[in-house]
Amino acid sequence: MTDDFILQLRNLTVGYDRQVVLKELELRVKRGSFTGLVGSNGSGKSTLLKTILGIIPPLGGRVDLRLSSPTLPALGYVPQRESLDPIFLVSCFEMVLMGACGRVKPGRRFSTTEKEWARRCLQETGAGELERRRFSELSGGQKQRVLIARALATRPELLVLDEPTAGIDTAATVAVLELLRRVHREQQLTVLMVNHDLPALRECAEEVIWLHQGKVLQGSVEELLRRDRAEALLGLQLE
Amino acid sequence: MLSTLREMFDPSFLSRNSVAISLLVGFVCPLAGVYLVLRRVVFLGVALPQVSSCGIAFAFALQGWGWIPHAHDSAEERAIAMAGSIVFTLAAILVLSTLERRGRGMIEGRTGTVYVVAGAWSILLLVQNPFGEHGMLELLRGEIVAVSNTDLLITAGAFLVVIITLFTFQKEFLLVSFDREMALTLRKNVLGWDALLFGVIGLVISVSVMTVGPLVAFGFVLLPPLIAYPFCRNMLQFALVSSGVGGVMAVFGFAVAYQQELPVGPTDVALLGVLYAVAWFGQKAAVAMRQRRRARAG
Repeated sequence: MTDDFILQLRNLTVGYDRQVVLKELELRVKRGSFTGLVGSNGSGKSTLLKTILGIIPPLGGRVDLRLSSPTLPALGYVPQRESLDPIFLVSCFEMVLMGACGRVKPGRRFSTTEKEWARRCLQETGAGELERRRFSELSGGQKQRVLIARALATRPELLVLDEPTAGIDTAATVAVLELLRRVHREQQLTVLMVNHDLPALRECAEEVIWLHQGKVLQGSVEELLRRDRAEALLGLQLE
Repeated sequence: MLSTLREMFDPSFLSRNSVAISLLVGFVCPLAGVYLVLRRVVFLGVALPQVSSCGIAFAFALQGWGWIPHAHDSAEERAIAMAGSIVFTLAAILVLSTLERRGRGMIEGRTGTVYVVAGAWSILLLVQNPFGEHGMLELLRGEIVAVSNTDLLITAGAFLVVIITLFTFQKEFLLVSFDREMALTLRKNVLGWDALLFGVIGLVISVSVMTVGPLVAFGFVLLPPLIAYPFCRNMLQFALVSSGVGGVMAVFGFAVAYQQELPVGPTDVALLGVLYAVAWFGQKAAVAMRQRRRARAG
């Protein structure tokens, strides 16, 4: 049943400046699933993610997003936090309000409802007390919570995260993953997450998409993240 | 100083239009400069006034070469110069900002090249064409002496459009400047918003160069935001404090220049430089004091 899928890639070729990174991909992501996107450095994870999000145009093929509203943006995106320049004087509340920009017309102010929704998203991610703090002054884990809150503020049907646990300590990693699991469970949200951390993926993902030397493998966590399978794919011994 | 200020704001003061134009430039230029500082394209603020001057010189040269008819009065002359300034600035900002977004090549190298080449061409065009040399030299020196009512009205009108645009579309400008990728996922027309923002910055710079010259325009675009930045907590505060610093320093600079019989523009910029140094040392001292207090408490 094609209706079960929120995202379908049809013969998709992705890359930068006409340089092909991944060729003729065929993939489907189930609605309501938690999918991990893994692969070694330079395997094209972020390029694929950005193509799915519409940040980079595809070099060929199609990205079919089956969203309930074709006009309202319903993609929640959590970028790598280093991509945001700390020079901007943005508070956590202002940061989360950006998520509502897709619903507020140009030149209009944010309504009280949108502001309340932004506060709720901050509280939902356990970052309520950070509301007035400057985003650039937060720790890695706190920043990640605020970025997830901003993605939730878009009222997404698909939440896309680019390495949300990279560079943060173990306690913060556990907290972020727990938060994502809870959001996925309680809101029946489809989650697509790029992550290098295989044990973390084993804990929260149901499906895995593995990019390896230009090829794509898709399957369940049990199927693809088994130690022997992972070792065979990576061609090395995992510790 | 107080008596000078009283004299400056007296309705019968001969240079009242110059005071008004200084104030306008002081308040509005930093509002555009805020975005140049945040987007880390400060060099654009140096290069664009130079390009604008080149546009003015080119407009004068066109008359000298007989490609367009000679202006009959100063109003017509200024209109032609204004057109040259706006066309050159907008074209340069469009090309430079597009290349900056694509991230190709060395941004600083490109902007520096534009700066020196525009400077060289301004001089060559003026040497070739003594027709515009006199007015242009006044402009380059930043002597805000004779400002007609028409100039004042045009500047005020253009700046009003700039202020309304910057405040109305503040959230769009912030989103595309801060997180372009997020803006794209929200299906915003990023290129369109960038073009509008840089168009507004280009308008501020070209109008300012026409009225106060490239040196003063550059000074007020960049120094007030750099002075204000360490003391601000959010974007609105940053814009308002930068604008306030620019406005206050424009009045103060005018008063000092008037009292000491100095050219207004360079005096303004020199004083902004002094304030920047004081603010920088003040901020460092405050941080050091806070750290010492914390260490003592710890």
